[in-house]
Amino acid sequence: MKEKKHIVYTAIMALLFFGMSFFCWFKPADDFSWTERRPLDQFPKLNMQTLLNGSFMSKFEEYTLDQFPMRDQFRSMKAAVAFYILGQKDNNDIYMVGDYVSEMEYPLHKEAVSQSMHKFASIAEQYFQGTGVKLYHAVIPDKNYFLAADNGYLSIDYEALFQQVKEEGSFMEYIDIVDLLQLEDYYYTDTHWQQQSIIAVAEALADAMGAEVKTSYEEHTLDTPFYGVYYGQLGLPVNPDHITYLTNPVLDSCLVYDHQNNKEMPMYDLDKAVGRDPYEMYLGGSLSVVTIENPAAATDKELVIFRDSFGSSIAPLLVDGYKKITLLDARYLHQNMIGNYVEFTNQDVLFLHSASVLNNPSAFK
Amino acid sequence: MVFSSIPFLYYFLPIVLILYYMAPGKMKNGVLLLASFIFYAWGEPRYIVLMITSILLGYIAGIYIDRYRGTKYAKYILFLSVAISVGFLGYFKYADFFISNFNAATGLSVPLLKVALPIGISFYTFQLISYTIDVYRGSVKVQRSCLNLATYIAMFPQLIAGPIVRYADIEASLTNRKHTFGDISYGIRRFTMGLSKKVLIANPLGELCDVFAASGEQSVLFFWMYAIAVSLQIYFDFSGYSDMAIGLGRMLGFKFMENFNYPYISKSVTEFWRRWHISLGSWFRDYIYIPLGGNRVSKVRHIFNIFVVWFLTGFWHGAAWNFIIWGLYFAVLLMLEKMFLLKYLAKIPQVITHAYVLLIAGISFVIFDAANMASAGACIMAMFGLGDAPLVTAETLYYLRSYASILILAIIGATPIVKQTAEKFSQTALGSKIVLVAEPLVVVGLFLVSTAFLVDGSFNPFLYFRF
Repeated sequence: MKEKKHIVYTAIMALLFFGMSFFCWFKPADDFSWTERRPLDQFPKLNMQTLLNGSFMSKFEEYTLDQFPMRDQFRSMKAAVAFYILGQKDNNDIYMVGDYVSEMEYPLHKEAVSQSMHKFASIAEQYFQGTGVKLYHAVIPDKNYFLAADNGYLSIDYEALFQQVKEEGSFMEYIDIVDLLQLEDYYYTDTHWQQQSIIAVAEALADAMGAEVKTSYEEHTLDTPFYGVYYGQLGLPVNPDHITYLTNPVLDSCLVYDHQNNKEMPMYDLDKAVGRDPYEMYLGGSLSVVTIENPAAATDKELVIFRDSFGSSIAPLLVDGYKKITLLDARYLHQNMIGNYVEFTNQDVLFLHSASVLNNPSAFK
Repeated sequence: MVFSSIPFLYYFLPIVLILYYMAPGKMKNGVLLLASFIFYAWGEPRYIVLMITSILLGYIAGIYIDRYRGTKYAKYILFLSVAISVGFLGYFKYADFFISNFNAATGLSVPLLKVALPIGISFYTFQLISYTIDVYRGSVKVQRSCLNLATYIAMFPQLIAGPIVRYADIEASLTNRKHTFGDISYGIRRFTMGLSKKVLIANPLGELCDVFAASGEQSVLFFWMYAIAVSLQIYFDFSGYSDMAIGLGRMLGFKFMENFNYPYISKSVTEFWRRWHISLGSWFRDYIYIPLGGNRVSKVRHIFNIFVVWFLTGFWHGAAWNFIIWGLYFAVLLMLEKMFLLKYLAKIPQVITHAYVLLIAGISFVIFDAANMASAGACIMAMFGLGDAPLVTAETLYYLRSYASILILAIIGATPIVKQTAEKFSQTALGSKIVLVAEPLVVVGLFLVSTAFLVDGSFNPFLYFRF
């Protein structure tokens, strides 16, 4: 009886073990992980040099992790065990509250915030001195501002961050938009705000800068489910979002230009809405220099926005108040290159970044 | 290569097992040795030469000790062999420690050698030393097959983090071993348990320790959480590795000695060290303590012997002062227990003696894990409210809530409660039937969940690789 038990036991484990091993060896390699939005490691180069310096071994390990059969299912299993059996509050810093998924932003990196503000000050000193530009700045509270502390998760001291930004950015006029936002204005599975929920924010920003954007929009909601950036990181099945974008005749008539790739592009790229990051449909995603020209503008005012990805969805809502809007991403554009795209005369200049970008030590290095 | 990695589990191990079981009896050691060299070279391509040289020197020393047995030359050869082994260990592991301390003492600036530590050198050096000494003492026969000796020293299950397998324990198995389904299924269970201990408990506890180290808001409670977490992490990491080694050994037909026996249930430090890293403790007892005279000497000499052994035990763990202090800390405690404390510990309630051992062990592992003695001292002071840390912070409470289940699981798992309960249950008629079905399911489940954690995460260093 005992021997029979051992044979059955060994057979079960051998079947599982060797079955999974063969699957690992013979599964064709995938190129891209859609849930993590990144390319997957391929089989590393094998030669005497890479063997002797050990680089083959370390890359082979990365390759085996990336190409593991049913990788997403195993990651889901890990997340489920971490949350529901081991009782962990987060899984790799990703947490869930109801249908909302977010990544803990903690702690407050005061040096990173200072670094960001020094960067803005340096840009101001290089380009704005002696010009007629008016400088404004605003901080977008990330989703954790509304979600983390109330639900027992760690979050940065936002009041301290806002205060630091105001003090170190005293050369700019601060526009407070926090009270105009609430949790429902953000996607469930993504870090970003939803365009249809930030009209009031756009109006407040324009109003503070002396522009007027009172206008109406038509809402278009995409049928394609939007699995935000946290969806893949969470590893558990949650309901997807749906992207809504706003149009009106003024927006339809605008000319949008991608200076990074020297080409015209649509305000909303519907092809990207079904791509690896659907949020990139707003003004092409993470481009360093984009201009929007509004031929129907009733003003000659121009706006320059130093922004992060949040700026892509709000910029169209500011178009009505300006003849031209230039979006610059100082994280990807060298400071000395800015002058190649904008001649600063008397524009409104808005520094608009999310708290999580300002708090990121590597954002404005 | 580490056991708890996808390349080992799903590439190296299945290939080795297929080749090993397919190979005829006489070729099994050859397959095992080749696999062990590949296993070692995977992590240390350059130092494979050092290991092979050490093995060859040990082999030659054994042959000549045997040839000149009973003459003074045997002693000379033994001395030379041990000196070379210790010399290699000293150069690769301790040279920079001695140079930096020499520089600090003299004000000179002799450049450091910056030699990378060969993985597992402390383990295989001790095995070689024990082999040559045992041959000299005549307690084992000399191994005339270089292949067999190399298989013993380099055998991948125990090569880089122990247990420190004695040649005497596997001498017979090297030439004649059986492979039964009973041993294989035991090996599978034992390996999977070890893998789970490492991946599902030690690694998350290691993450908690990392969070603590990176925290800007350490509180008194957080210092205690860290002390508990690091004590449990080291235990589950090392005992998990030992379980995997023992399990692999059994699958390959070898029976390695047990290395841990629930040390945290001990009621004295003396008992703790009978249950913790048993193979190292017995090595120092048999090859250092007893040759020095053990306890059959004068009181002063006995104290000296204890200090030598524990100084070396600490130093073996790492070339840094905190390891030496860690060893001497235990020397003092063991001496106090031998002198009078054990008498009193036997009379007081067990809950107090358990608390005493846990406190002593917790503090010891804070010292063990510290980057230096200053940070160890600061940490211990903070644990007792002697720093400026607040009692508790929101961050501490968050991580306490997040890791409470793992800590409780680890605390329960560090006792024999689960094992004893399962054994009792399986002795009943119904229990035996349930266990028959449930046990393989649990093992399969643990194996798959451990794989899931490995696929998802990159936090996976084995602590004992640096020793």
